[in-house]
Amino acid sequence: MISQHLPVIDSINFKNIHKLLINFIKEEVKRTGVNKIVLGLSGGIDSAVSCYLAVSALGSDNVAAILMPYKASSSKSLEDAMLVVKNLNINHYIIDITDQIDVYFDKIGSNKSYYNNNSEYNKSNFNFEDKSKESNYELKLRMGNKMARERMSILYDRSHILNSLVLGTSNKSELLLGYGTIYGDMASALNPIGDIYKTQIYQLAKHLGVPESLINKAPSADLWQDQSDEKELGFTYKLADEIMFLLVDKMYKPEVVISMGYDEDIVHKVYNKIKKSQFKRRQPLIAKVSQRTINIDFRYLRDWI
Amino acid sequence: MDLIKLSLAQIAPEPGLLDCNLEKHLKYIDEAKQAGSKLIIFPELSLTGYFLKDAVYDVAINIKNSCKNKENSKNIENTGVNFKTFNNYNYIIDSLLDKSEEIVIIAGFVESDEDYNFYNSTFCLSGGNILHVHRKVYLPTYGMFEEMRYFKHGKEFGVFNILGVNSTILTCEDAWHLSSSYIAVNKGAKLIIINSASPARGIEEGNDKFSSVKMWEELLSVIAFYYKSYVIYVNRVGFEDGIGFSGGSCVFSPDGKKDYCLDYLDEGLLNIEINLDFLKNERFKTPILRDENLDITLKEIKSIIDHR
Repeated sequence: MISQHLPVIDSINFKNIHKLLINFIKEEVKRTGVNKIVLGLSGGIDSAVSCYLAVSALGSDNVAAILMPYKASSSKSLEDAMLVVKNLNINHYIIDITDQIDVYFDKIGSNKSYYNNNSEYNKSNFNFEDKSKESNYELKLRMGNKMARERMSILYDRSHILNSLVLGTSNKSELLLGYGTIYGDMASALNPIGDIYKTQIYQLAKHLGVPESLINKAPSADLWQDQSDEKELGFTYKLADEIMFLLVDKMYKPEVVISMGYDEDIVHKVYNKIKKSQFKRRQPLIAKVSQRTINIDFRYLRDWI
Repeated sequence: MDLIKLSLAQIAPEPGLLDCNLEKHLKYIDEAKQAGSKLIIFPELSLTGYFLKDAVYDVAINIKNSCKNKENSKNIENTGVNFKTFNNYNYIIDSLLDKSEEIVIIAGFVESDEDYNFYNSTFCLSGGNILHVHRKVYLPTYGMFEEMRYFKHGKEFGVFNILGVNSTILTCEDAWHLSSSYIAVNKGAKLIIINSASPARGIEEGNDKFSSVKMWEELLSVIAFYYKSYVIYVNRVGFEDGIGFSGGSCVFSPDGKKDYCLDYLDEGLLNIEINLDFLKNERFKTPILRDENLDITLKEIKSIIDHR
């Protein structure tokens, strides 16, 4: 019988999945000539799972966690991240990003010459007076993206200092839905959990021994207070994951998924999110001019040596 | 007792690094020899790696140039020309041909012919000669696979004699077409050697194997049981661009049972012994092959072709 629902990571298939993910980290890292990784540890479940896998693969001496809180980050996030650090006995660095984020947003708020005195542009797009208001979703989004990229920038700088690769922490659900910042949290050298749905991340976390306090909280990007993934997305991961499993893994058309009893609006919403965020999952487009163009007909593995 | 000692070399080739892969082949060959094996089998494209894309062009070997020209290569060395560059990887075949004086070697490589076609090929070297070359017939070009983009397909499932036993080589997808093993056993094959580069994929609840592995093992069991043959499956391990190959190289006896198995996902060498008396016994007890009616098959296939 063809399985029509997202497979659970159980105690039986866990062994193989665990071995595959560990070998993936070990072998793909080793191939680049280094043997260490850095990752951003947020206190959330995804980066914790990546971190546990990395330690199993490379040993605690070869994994460094960077904790990068902003002033609005929940203190529980930092506590949970520290719990992972302590449990795994890994090196960690706490780098608060409040100053650079606030300086940037204060500066462009007060200095309009940044926009080349284009008053039309200023009027139509930016209303800096609103930036203090909590209700300004646009600003929150911009600040959230900026923070994600600031953290990426710090991770890559640390990876240079520590002669390490940046380990990714985006799961399959958020990659497909585009619920991440391009060149921010989506950036990494390699990602062990990018083919594992959020629902399965919870199951994987249990088998890996990730502390309960990380598993038992609502998923949040923690870019501002009381942010909730599922509130923002408008559906639960559990439902979206079942739908995406059918749309992506099983390659069923949306109308087939709807005919299987799923809510029409949500199926379309999920499907459109996947399509609209395709650009985030691919390299920038290159205008083809020559006979042989990077990524078009200049085709090699990334592991090409 | 009619025994054959052989070794399954489950390796992780580095894509495009032929020298590094050759070194690994030689290491495994030495280990197999020490274990007393007369035959060693490496996975599909074991000398080159699998997802080569445009690098297919860079790693191809024309074996017709290499084996006959041991003398040539010596001359080239004497003249001070860079042997490796000039000879374009033929030294790899030559070095394995030397080794094949003591042990039969089956390994995978990218073959190019005089017309500059490229094949996903497997050679069998024995006694310093090329005993057989199998060019993969069924080239998967769907999902993550793109073999037909680069390779020309082979044209036959040849049966040849290894250490006194009629054998065939099927490469990965070849085995998924049950017609390939049907042809080979009816041509007399008793040993079906399947080399592959099969990515691990698909998870299932309550199953300790990847879905792809489960399907493979069911297939191998069917081939072994219904064609009353030994099936020797050698799959690679390692990663290429995040895709992990599942390993799990194994031997299925003519009773359809898995006799020996290497671990999933890790490199390893398995030294084993197969007993042809057991095959004779199975073929006597269940003479499916004796009763096979090739005339009916031929008639039916002819009518399928005529009416399509």
